[in-house]
Amino acid sequence: MLLIQGLIKIMDKLLTIKNLCLSIKSTDKEILKNINFDMSNSEIVSLIGESGSGKYLTALSIIRWLEKSCIIKSGEIIFKDKNILSLEEKEMRFIRKNEMSMIFQEPMRSLNPVMTIYDQLKESYVEKKNINLQKEIFRNLNSVGIFDAERVIQLYPHQLSGGMKQRVMIAMAIACKPKLLIADEPTTSLDVTIQKQVLDLLSSLRKELNMAILFITHDLAVASQISDKIIVMKEGEILENSLSKDFFKKPKHNYSKSLIQSSNYMKKLKTKDVSDIGNKVLDIKNLKVYYQEKSNSFGLQNKLLKAVDDISLSINAGTTHAIVGESGSGKTTIAKAIMGLTKISSGKINILDKNILSLSYNENRIHRKNYQMIFQDPFSSLNPRMRIGSIIKEGLCFLEPNINNDDIIKKIHEVIDKVRLPKDSLNKYPHEFSGGQRQRIAIARVLVLNPKLLICDEPTSSLDVTVQKQVLDLLMDIQNNTNISYLFISHDIKLISNISDNISVMYKGKIIESGKTSDIINNTGNEYTKKLLASVPNIK
Amino acid sequence: MFTFLLTDIFFFGIIISLFLYIKYVKKTPDILATWMYVFKNKTGIISVVVLSFFLLTAFLDSIHLKSKVYNEDTNEYIYSSEINSVLDIILLPMHKNSEKSYSSPFASKLYSKETIRINNKEEKRIYPKLLFKGNHNKFFSENFYNIFFTIFISILKSISLFFLFYILFFRRKILEKKYGFLYPYRINRTLCSTILVIISIVLILYDLSAQYYVLGTDKVGVDVLYKSIKSIRTGILIGTLTTIVMLPFAIFLGIFAGYIGGFVDDVIQYIYTTLNSIPGVLLIASAILMLQVYMANNPLEFENIYERADMRLFFLCMILGLTSWTGLCRLLRGESMKLREVEYVQASKTFGLSRISIITRHIIPNIMHIVIITVVLDFSALVLAEAVLSYVNIGVDPTTYSWGNMINAARLEMSREPVVWWSLFSAFLFMFILVLFANLFSDVVRDAFDPRANKNYG
Repeated sequence: MLLIQGLIKIMDKLLTIKNLCLSIKSTDKEILKNINFDMSNSEIVSLIGESGSGKYLTALSIIRWLEKSCIIKSGEIIFKDKNILSLEEKEMRFIRKNEMSMIFQEPMRSLNPVMTIYDQLKESYVEKKNINLQKEIFRNLNSVGIFDAERVIQLYPHQLSGGMKQRVMIAMAIACKPKLLIADEPTTSLDVTIQKQVLDLLSSLRKELNMAILFITHDLAVASQISDKIIVMKEGEILENSLSKDFFKKPKHNYSKSLIQSSNYMKKLKTKDVSDIGNKVLDIKNLKVYYQEKSNSFGLQNKLLKAVDDISLSINAGTTHAIVGESGSGKTTIAKAIMGLTKISSGKINILDKNILSLSYNENRIHRKNYQMIFQDPFSSLNPRMRIGSIIKEGLCFLEPNINNDDIIKKIHEVIDKVRLPKDSLNKYPHEFSGGQRQRIAIARVLVLNPKLLICDEPTSSLDVTVQKQVLDLLMDIQNNTNISYLFISHDIKLISNISDNISVMYKGKIIESGKTSDIINNTGNEYTKKLLASVPNIK
Repeated sequence: MFTFLLTDIFFFGIIISLFLYIKYVKKTPDILATWMYVFKNKTGIISVVVLSFFLLTAFLDSIHLKSKVYNEDTNEYIYSSEINSVLDIILLPMHKNSEKSYSSPFASKLYSKETIRINNKEEKRIYPKLLFKGNHNKFFSENFYNIFFTIFISILKSISLFFLFYILFFRRKILEKKYGFLYPYRINRTLCSTILVIISIVLILYDLSAQYYVLGTDKVGVDVLYKSIKSIRTGILIGTLTTIVMLPFAIFLGIFAGYIGGFVDDVIQYIYTTLNSIPGVLLIASAILMLQVYMANNPLEFENIYERADMRLFFLCMILGLTSWTGLCRLLRGESMKLREVEYVQASKTFGLSRISIITRHIIPNIMHIVIITVVLDFSALVLAEAVLSYVNIGVDPTTYSWGNMINAARLEMSREPVVWWSLFSAFLFMFILVLFANLFSDVVRDAFDPRANKNYG
């Protein structure tokens, strides 16, 4: 009896990883240290960690897609009683075709842009030529929530939205009815509303197909939505492995605690009342940015794309105004319009009571240091061939031409202190810094000008949660000390509700709701805002 | 008396700007550190030494002299129409005399039989002896011994020559007596050994050339080694001068097209598409033929055949430059289009920087690696293109020494029996060494200028 029970238990185990160690050939540095965990049938396990924690490499070693420079030093990966690591490549290919699949972070890059959806889906079925292929594909697409399959299969990837592409990717992955699906950050590049749909889809598919999912993510809230078990990794080690419900109630490891804390980012409460202090720093009236869509070869069908359609908003000194919306809602276009990076069709932008659109080039040059911008991606916003010192100096030298050399050096050292960068960073190149440090450099670059208004275009969305917290803390501290105003652009309504005084919700180029943060978060009347709030994953 | 040919002036210009750049680099610590990486890298230092030796050869070959001759009719000294370079004077034992026809490397007899009358009586078909060089000892082993002895002596010479330079160069460090005599050698081991090896090779070749034709002789009996060495200048000139002509077009037009876009982009695109749609060979052929007609009609403008040949070489560089900028231009246009949208360019726009300063500060440094790679690849391609053009007789003047002309001549040499292989071989060998080290050099330079590349200093 005991034997049978034991046997059932073993049968129930789908994947077991024992003492997996992995290192890189050239450096001999261990990247994965003693990884141990197991997965049962139809279980969803989340691997959580910041970038560089080794979660992706763990997944790659399961499906055996490691690069040649990685060597597995020791350990076993047992999938359905077979040690994957000792299989021939041919057998492994069979397993990948039939029992394991993987979906990737960027659906835009994972689909071949010159093949129709039908042709790409067909590839997943090569082994089963006899069945009625089209019917099977339709059924498959239906199961991932694409109901007009006849139309979709004729399209090319660029004609689909991000969410649809991810659905197609999932359809391709589950075409072989795998026992194990490895999902590498499948929702990171998607909007919240679509993220919710994809998560719902994955959990329903799990039941339907009796499929286990290894879910790799850096987002605790997403993991809490979907997973049965949570594994926390850091620097190649598993720090914690516990059931989902236990994990969020009583995290065992200190690092897990700090992760949970960081993802529930809360601002230190402001002491002053922000309702009506100071004058207006930014005042936008009836801003319109229209793009002429490029005409086709006959010059017909000139479509007008309304990126920003009749928007008015204003920001008081020392406050934070947030614009929230999905991708394509036009929120970044507003930032670009203010900074003069895009042409404006009509409207007025007043900064410190000066209409910047009517300023001459030289007047603008003097005025410009009052409003500056931080970009989303710290990896591409710093010139890789310039040293940090000259990056920070650039704006200063140009916008304050009369400044002398000693003042420049003094100011740069001050600002480096302010953003808490090490003193010796000035002579280094950007690639020597981590993402969080790079964003600090980007902040230092604009802060050195002492601006009154700072536009932050998703400054934290490409950073890990703990780093995200540090950067936000820094921004908030700066505001408390210098009375700077922020125009904060984000897709993350939860994050924004914690740091902003006012919120505008944008949808398709229009502000559909605007007001005090507390009002909008707690009792909004707008349907779209409600939907947006509902789809935000919260830690259960 | 010194005379300056047109290409000489440009070549000196290149050398002077190289020195100015070195001076500038010494003043700016950032760039100096980057270049120091090149010199600390083993491949880097070796290729720098080899390339500078090639450059030195080309430089010596670019200093041209006219000699004075005594005119017996008028009883005064006049300048002869013969122009010699400093290199010619150094290599005098190589080209002073020439044989009758082909002879293979280290041979003592001609390569083909001839009918020779002995004592005015009987005629015999034999391999005649070489007139000026070649050891005429009967025994093979003796010949062999002689070669080895010469090599041995030259190696001893080169070692002593090396240490002479060594002491001159490091005299201060040696006089300090802190570290011992060989200490400077030990820290600059790669540099010193490369120089030692090059000096030995040069001296060995030089000494052997006094007694043998190391790489044989060509159809009219000229030393092939001498021809190959003289071709270095032509190769380097075509590589560098053409690049200098083409770079401004490619860089400025490419960046303006990509960065400014719109109407400017359209115009530039039309220009290079038009230029590209005309076969390059046709353009080059017509330009060279036009030049030939011009030279035939205005014979007085050219004092001697050297100037004519030089004019043709210069013109070839110009026209090659004008036809070859389109590829790089297209690459740079695409790259600057990409960079235009990158956030650091956007960020500097928010500072209100002008277009020119954005281009010079952000765009050009970030496309420089493409330029360096393309220039070096083009360098080798141009050296090869010269060979192809000489093949259809629209390349350099037939009297100019060039690897292309040598390969062109090898066409007939390879089809005769027995095969004459050494012309092709030596052209290939010299071209190979130059192109190989240029490629290695560019690899190291690219790594040095790419801050993302993983660098291990020291």
